Amino acid sequence: MKTLIDKIILVILLLAFLTSIFLIFAWVPPIKASNPAEQIAQRIFYYHVPSAWIGFLAFFVVFIGSIAYLWKRERKYELLSVASAEIGVLFITLVLLTGPVWAKPVWGIWWTWDARLTSSLVLWLIYVAYLMLRRYLPDGNKRANLSAVVGIIGFIDVPIVYYSIRWWETQHPKAVMASSEGGLAAPMFFVFMFSLAAFTLLYVYFMRVRYKLLVMEDSINKQIKEMEIL
Amino acid sequence: MLKPSLAIVQKDLRMEFRSKESILAMWIFSLLIFVIFNFTFEVSRLVMLEIAPGLLWVAFIFSGMFGLNHSFAVERENGNLRSMALMPVTGGSIYLGKFLSVTIIMLLFETLIFPIFVIFYDLQLTATLFLLIPVILAGTIGFTSLGTILSAVSVHTRNQQILLSLLLWPLVSPIIIWSVNLTSMVLAGEILTNFLPLLIRIIAFDVIFFTISFMLFDYILED
Amino acid sequence: MSEIALHLDSVSKDFGRIIALRGINLDVQPGEFVSILGRNGAGKTTLLNIISGISTPSEGEVLLFGTDPAASSNKSKLAVISHEMFLYSNLTAVENLEYYTQMYRVEGMEDKISSVLETVELTHRRFDLVSTFSRGMMQRLTIARALLHDPQFLLLDEPFTGLDQHAIAMLTTILKGQKAQGRTILLTTHDLHIANDLSDRFVVIDKHRVVYDAAVGALGVDELRSRFFSAEGAQS
Ligand SMILES: Nc1ncnc2c1ncn2[C@@H]1O[C@H](COP(=O)(O)OP(=O)(O)O)[C@@H](O)[C@H]1O
Ligand SMILES: [Mg+2]
Repeated sequence: MKTLIDKIILVILLLAFLTSIFLIFAWVPPIKASNPAEQIAQRIFYYHVPSAWIGFLAFFVVFIGSIAYLWKRERKYELLSVASAEIGVLFITLVLLTGPVWAKPVWGIWWTWDARLTSSLVLWLIYVAYLMLRRYLPDGNKRANLSAVVGIIGFIDVPIVYYSIRWWETQHPKAVMASSEGGLAAPMFFVFMFSLAAFTLLYVYFMRVRYKLLVMEDSINKQIKEMEIL
Repeated sequence: MLKPSLAIVQKDLRMEFRSKESILAMWIFSLLIFVIFNFTFEVSRLVMLEIAPGLLWVAFIFSGMFGLNHSFAVERENGNLRSMALMPVTGGSIYLGKFLSVTIIMLLFETLIFPIFVIFYDLQLTATLFLLIPVILAGTIGFTSLGTILSAVSVHTRNQQILLSLLLWPLVSPIIIWSVNLTSMVLAGEILTNFLPLLIRIIAFDVIFFTISFMLFDYILED
Repeated sequence: MSEIALHLDSVSKDFGRIIALRGINLDVQPGEFVSILGRNGAGKTTLLNIISGISTPSEGEVLLFGTDPAASSNKSKLAVISHEMFLYSNLTAVENLEYYTQMYRVEGMEDKISSVLETVELTHRRFDLVSTFSRGMMQRLTIARALLHDPQFLLLDEPFTGLDQHAIAMLTTILKGQKAQGRTILLTTHDLHIANDLSDRFVVIDKHRVVYDAAVGALGVDELRSRFFSAEGAQS
């Protein structure tokens, strides 16, 4: 059921990620670090940070989809929210996995109860709970309503989680994009933006596929019902 | 608007006080938390004072979970939640009623737990200790305003209790973290300049969560 | 009272892949007593839930007294008796009723409560916890609770289940009284004789659709039974 657009996106994605691997490992100059392991590990940054950003974007879509559902009561908004929540959890999982890959050589530990790490974990837990809730409920209005409510409250909580835990000392590297000291060097910035674009496209692709699958599931269920009724 | 909410509070408190043994059980349970913690972490008095605020909130949260589960188990028996959806009252006033009764019960538990805490950790009863009252109030209201709506969400599932924990704990963690921070300041007797801003922040989020839940509660009642 | 009490226009309801109702059309006039018959799983309870507004149809339109069933103006006109008791077992009979009068803003609370308790013959047990009641007594208290706010429209989902002969006679009398006062009543039951005795009209739902809708007397009880509830063709 892949449309031409899906196929085109898939090809672009393939090229984009191959290019990004080339850019990250062969093209962009390594950072200046005393520790050679850190020079290598730093490259994960180009996947780690875009994953986090896309995770946020995905949860924002859950939020908007949930509001739209409660307002319009249309199935498509429910499906959109679920698809986005699943994909968001996937991306935050990537964040939680790529983080330790960097932390081990640089900090010498896989995990620490640092502000950024803890808040990402809490974020992940919120949306895993959202998905769990849906698993526990039978399909129907009730489930759509309840998960929309959690989708809304969950997203409002996101900035609060980040805000609250920032109160702690953080070892986590500064948000380089926003820092005042000039930010990233030009080639690094380029590679980062390239990677971000690739991840955004990946999100779009996943959304299209997952959403279509959910719609298909619905239509199969409908056909089964029509058969049963005869 | 307020009348039906108060009717819910009256009914809930009546039932709660009728089962005094559950209040006693809760009290003993929190005692156990302190005891077990002492067994499992044989720490020096200095460290103990450092983790005491966290411990206090752990006991509070358990009592809150206990109250929430109880309060909504009662609504589930005999389809009372459905009956509420049939009544000529808004979802908001039902939310307010349940929120009030859960909050009152949790505050009651906390009042019972706190003296044990004072004795076990040999707290000096200084004047600054009164600053704990707004801290506990703000933290508790944050917990119950989120806890009430999430209980109403999870009560529709078979695994109500586990799901409530899964939903509530991550969502309420910011408020708990701040409450623990503030409690540490008060217990250490060092009221930092950010005490008031932090307290105001908790209150602000209490208001946000309460308002959102109040508005969304109608959607939870309908089928 | 000229306005139609209930109007359903091609109402369907699904629970995910489970079908509950298909294309239900039904009009009920004020003061009418309609019995809804059908096998287990036919969709009767779902239909009553949609009428009471706690469940929204997947498709179609429902109008109760000309508006959305969930409208607040409808809620105080409506009473529901279902297999769920809507009672708190840790409260006494009177406390349960007090709670209901507060929620429904019933005037003259005490008189009202003693009169409904009288009607269901529970006055002597009024200060006992509901948890000490037998099923039949709880059912009677449920009936009392439903009558507290003088509802215009009664939705009764198998209210006779679990009642003894005496209580059945009591409920029958109560329902006749309600009908005499001009209340609109929708009843689901498996007892064709009681339904025949009480109602103006029969509606039979089979496999989620209305398959029969006619005034009482159009078909006799035995004929109805053999047409819709015979053993052959019985399903799970
Ligand atoms: N909340 C629900 N979730 C899923 N399926 C349901 C739900 N309520 C009813 N159903 C299904 O809808 C169909 C009709 O049920 P119901 O209206 O209870 O029938 P009846 O009251 O006539 O016995 C049944 O197949 C039942 O399993
Ligand atoms: Mg039924």
